[in-house]
Amino acid sequence: MKQLHEIICDVRKLSSWLAYRKAAGQIRELLKSGAAKLQTSVKAAFLSSFTIDPLVDFAVVEAAAHSIELQPYIAPYGQFNQELLNPESELYRASPQITFLLIEAESGAIDEQASRLGGLVDAFLKNSTGILVINTFPACPSWPLNVLPDQRRILIEELNTGIIERYQSNPRIQILDLDALVSYAGCQNAMSPQMMSMARIPFSETFLAMLARRVISHIIATLGLARKCLVLDCDNTLWGGIIGEDGLDGIQIGRDSPGREYLEFQKTILELYEQGVILAINSKNNHDDVMQVLNEHPQMLLREKHFASIVVNWDLKPQNMQKIAEQINIGLDTVVFIDDNPAERQMMRQSLPQVETLEMPADPSLFARTLRETGCFARAYLTEEDKNRGQIYAAQRQRDQFQQSCATLEDFLKSLEMVVSIHPAGKDDIKRVAQLTQRTNQFNLTTRRYTEADITAMAQNKDWRIYVLGLKDKFGDNGTVGLALVEIQPKKWRLDTFLVSCRVIGRQVEDALVDRICRDAAKAGCMTISAEYIPTAKNNLVAGFWDKMGFEKGTADAKQVRYSRQLKNYQSPQFLYLKII
Amino acid sequence: MIKDRLEVVFRQSFEIGKFTEDLSIDNVPGWDSMAHVGLILALQKEFAVSIPPADAIELTSVKNIIQYLDTRDVSSG
Repeated sequence: MKQLHEIICDVRKLSSWLAYRKAAGQIRELLKSGAAKLQTSVKAAFLSSFTIDPLVDFAVVEAAAHSIELQPYIAPYGQFNQELLNPESELYRASPQITFLLIEAESGAIDEQASRLGGLVDAFLKNSTGILVINTFPACPSWPLNVLPDQRRILIEELNTGIIERYQSNPRIQILDLDALVSYAGCQNAMSPQMMSMARIPFSETFLAMLARRVISHIIATLGLARKCLVLDCDNTLWGGIIGEDGLDGIQIGRDSPGREYLEFQKTILELYEQGVILAINSKNNHDDVMQVLNEHPQMLLREKHFASIVVNWDLKPQNMQKIAEQINIGLDTVVFIDDNPAERQMMRQSLPQVETLEMPADPSLFARTLRETGCFARAYLTEEDKNRGQIYAAQRQRDQFQQSCATLEDFLKSLEMVVSIHPAGKDDIKRVAQLTQRTNQFNLTTRRYTEADITAMAQNKDWRIYVLGLKDKFGDNGTVGLALVEIQPKKWRLDTFLVSCRVIGRQVEDALVDRICRDAAKAGCMTISAEYIPTAKNNLVAGFWDKMGFEKGTADAKQVRYSRQLKNYQSPQFLYLKII
Repeated sequence: MIKDRLEVVFRQSFEIGKFTEDLSIDNVPGWDSMAHVGLILALQKEFAVSIPPADAIELTSVKNIIQYLDTRDVSSG
């Protein structure tokens, strides 16, 4: 029987819908028999004005490529209105996490169409708690009969602008820009009159494959499955040629060809870096050779300062990959690996299947496009932290070097000049709070994932309090690094969520947050704070955290350990290294 | 050979055992009316012909497909 990875690679070469349909069936079989296992599963609903089944076949395969098991609910053909408007419909009974409403423009005035869509969206928001994805309409022009501007195209563009303006800041709605995607593919390639007449599908097979990848991007963004770190090989990946043989002057990188394709690739990598993807190098080379390229080659876009970890030696790459994950302090399942060498990719897939190893084309001029189109870094929004993450990790490297120069941990902590700020979450914190609940795995006591919509609701509910923890030190602003979600009852507070970003672990900021909550609770006349530890594969680090914080262990079962703390005569501990504001 | 190339298309599209002219919409698992559209698309791509809907309806067995492709003179491809 074929392996999952083989099935995906083979079918991608064909881009034939029937082949995808067969592959989707094989993947379902592999999962059912237990021969393959994927990291996440997602319930997604598909509603559409056209035949959507083929798109779902493509999506099942593309999801599996990202280790996601897609469990689709497909509304009966032509039933999208009823499914959305009826609160008792199969759609709402299936309680999908994400619902795709993909419809075609109808004839009629712009206002009418906009209000019809508005009605459907409102019904969904009322009847479901999930995320809704709606599309813009392809403004595909027809061949003009006269020499006048295409009025239909102008109207559709107006309709699209209206949709984007109305919904883009609603955290429960995402916009799949179908108009842009059709332009990207080219109308002639994207639309298929033949598919339309035979099967009531407006799109060609190649376009369905593309659209499926966008669908998966929305799923990745919604569930917070975006990978955090991109790990790169060097020779024939970041530049052409082999530095150890060709030397600094011999490698290909720059504005002229050959070399231009690598510059384009670096541009895309830099774009990812600027939206918060952490970069690292995993290369078989002499360390000094690679550092020389990073620091001295005049045409390189990527420099030493962009990388959070640079591991260059002659060891096996999976081994180095573990070292990188340790250094940056992230899980291997948040890492993407790019290497031009199929043998290295194969080894990485076999040794560390949780790393997403991208299948790269042989032609380097397609690298940039391949990286862009993977979708594994897709987010529904970007926070300030995302934009600064690169510098934050660079500062972390400096901190690590500084720590090595300090005689003791106390010296290090004292000389960091840390300033902690703890405040209730404001409007600007909502996105970052949701993001932290979705991304934090290690120092996370309960690992409850919340969407932006959930957090917004909590912030407006007086029975909940959201504490946000910020940290600055002599190397810079670490941004928002921790939070607690507290449910408030008159005599009893419950710590629903307590987490701290892994990059500040060991600096006692978590103690300050616990202390603040205990003090606030005591002040409010609360007698007891309850907390839990819910073990996962990744949060063993905090198994003893509540014990250490002076909480008493209560009942425990396989799923969780309960804790509580009495607040009578509560006394704050002393913080020697922190200034708390 | 048309038949060899047709076999490749069928293996990519369906789970089949031995490839014979007797295979048809009635005995190939997964070859339903939806899949038929996909099959026509795959045939068009492989044999570089355009198959009008009226012809497509008739192509419900391997035997019919081979006969049809013969009349369309695609053997040189």
